[in-house]
Amino acid sequence: MIQEKIKKIYKVKVSRIEKVSSNSHLIEIDLPFEIDIKAGQFISIYCNGLTLRRPFSVYYHSGNKIGILFKERGKGTSYIKSLRTGDLIDITGPLGNGFNIKNKKSLLIGAGIGVAPMAFLKSELDKRGIENLFACGFLNKNEIPNNINIDKIYTDDGSYGETGSVLNYTERLINQFKPEIIYTCGPYIVLKTIAKTAQEYGIEVQVAMEKVMACGIGICRGCVIDVKKEGKIVNATVCKDGPVFSGSEVVWQ
Amino acid sequence: MAVMTNILQTDLNGIILKNPIMTASGTYGYNNEYNDFIDVSALGAVVTKAISLNPREGNKHTRITETEAGMINSIGLENVGIEKFISEKLPVLKSENIDFFVNVAGSTIDEYCQVAKICNENNIKAIELNVSCPNVKSGCLEFGVDEKSLYELVSAVRKEYGGFLTVKLTPNVTSIEKLGISAQNAGANAISAINTLKGSKIKISCINSRVQKEIVTGGYSGRGIKPVAISAVMRLYNAVDIPIIGIGGIETVEDVLEFLSAGAEAVQIGTANFTHPDIAQKLVQDLEKYITDNGFKDLNELKKELRK
Repeated sequence: MIQEKIKKIYKVKVSRIEKVSSNSHLIEIDLPFEIDIKAGQFISIYCNGLTLRRPFSVYYHSGNKIGILFKERGKGTSYIKSLRTGDLIDITGPLGNGFNIKNKKSLLIGAGIGVAPMAFLKSELDKRGIENLFACGFLNKNEIPNNINIDKIYTDDGSYGETGSVLNYTERLINQFKPEIIYTCGPYIVLKTIAKTAQEYGIEVQVAMEKVMACGIGICRGCVIDVKKEGKIVNATVCKDGPVFSGSEVVWQ
Repeated sequence: MAVMTNILQTDLNGIILKNPIMTASGTYGYNNEYNDFIDVSALGAVVTKAISLNPREGNKHTRITETEAGMINSIGLENVGIEKFISEKLPVLKSENIDFFVNVAGSTIDEYCQVAKICNENNIKAIELNVSCPNVKSGCLEFGVDEKSLYELVSAVRKEYGGFLTVKLTPNVTSIEKLGISAQNAGANAISAINTLKGSKIKISCINSRVQKEIVTGGYSGRGIKPVAISAVMRLYNAVDIPIIGIGGIETVEDVLEFLSAGAEAVQIGTANFTHPDIAQKLVQDLEKYITDNGFKDLNELKKELRK
């Protein structure tokens, strides 16, 4: 079937749901067909009576299966957590623009739940044989998802890997690994800091942003951020123009 | 060969829609954006995002937040402006046979008139005047709350625009009927009711004994406003002779029936498009099924029965 002909809304079965760390869960869904998804793209889940769908970056994708990693943060994620294998869920996607993968030595930096799209990106880079290093920061050991392939782990409390925020190690990672490009996802302050550091070192950087969304397709203009385009500051939607932006085009607050 | 009759055909007394299911301004983009989810040309009409004379950047602060039964938005009329709409968006509407209304916004009578004039020159068949956006500091809201100003605005636009003209009213007034009568007397072909209600949400979080607050104020829409909308449509139906397009919290065919019963000739789906991006097309199908399942000849017969 041709991808473009498929409408981007489906009711699909949950094939797996499990707790994978002290504060995160994995939900896997089974699509009735294969679709093309890029690392950094997201799907949106209808949550039982709530007005706004909840967007989630794809954690892994193989064949008909999509994995999503999520933290319970409110009504939406609490609903998703309550789902069981075999339940039907209503999803839209894939939405947004994923990472623009370059054939360059790549440093991947994730923080907290921002690890999800980075893990997907790493698997894509590995498939293409692109040299990469995947570093990730967590609060503590218990926050690290099971069965995840991360090269370097940092924990705020030192319970696993090196101690402190991944931000404290960004420059050291750059100096030791000498990446030609950096990809990152995590809290706003992490993205902002890494984008700034990368620019100081003259390294290209791509950031995956997050914002409350309504439509998910760029039309409601609810999730805009400021970006620089042709010397002017203009609106860009996180859902459609992003969620991945070049770190140098974002006007950081 | 049997002639295919369209049982959902909707006559708004000046324009005929293939069905009464429209999509509300601001929730459906400019043209075919929802083709990712449905066949947009199957809808009665799409109402474009509000379009002003010049492009607008919109508001800077938090623009959307969810509430218990809907959402609050404060987009601030971000739009591409009429010129770009005509050059970039209109050709798509035409080539894909999408029936549409252009929602027109402005802050002065002159601005509305200029946009209406451009719509007229481009043979746009229908426009909806947005006189009730709660999210811009000056201008259009004043037209929506004052009978005399509304009359002046609609009369002025009427002179520039020969097509089908509906006026979208705000519920944030004491008597929506009076505003409806003003619009009718000034030459409007229909009334769209209602726009969003003024609403606020205060997000409170507490870190180390210090409370942090974020206040989001804007237009409240979604399921929660339906009773307000039904009441407005009922009152308008008794007050004006022109058709009413009902808007407010529609999510199911039962909601559509309720609006038709209150006196609406057509309806617009708004916030629910975000929740279920295929809902408008589903409602077309559900309404058709309801009519045939219950033995009605067509939509008009159903409307008559609903309003007995």
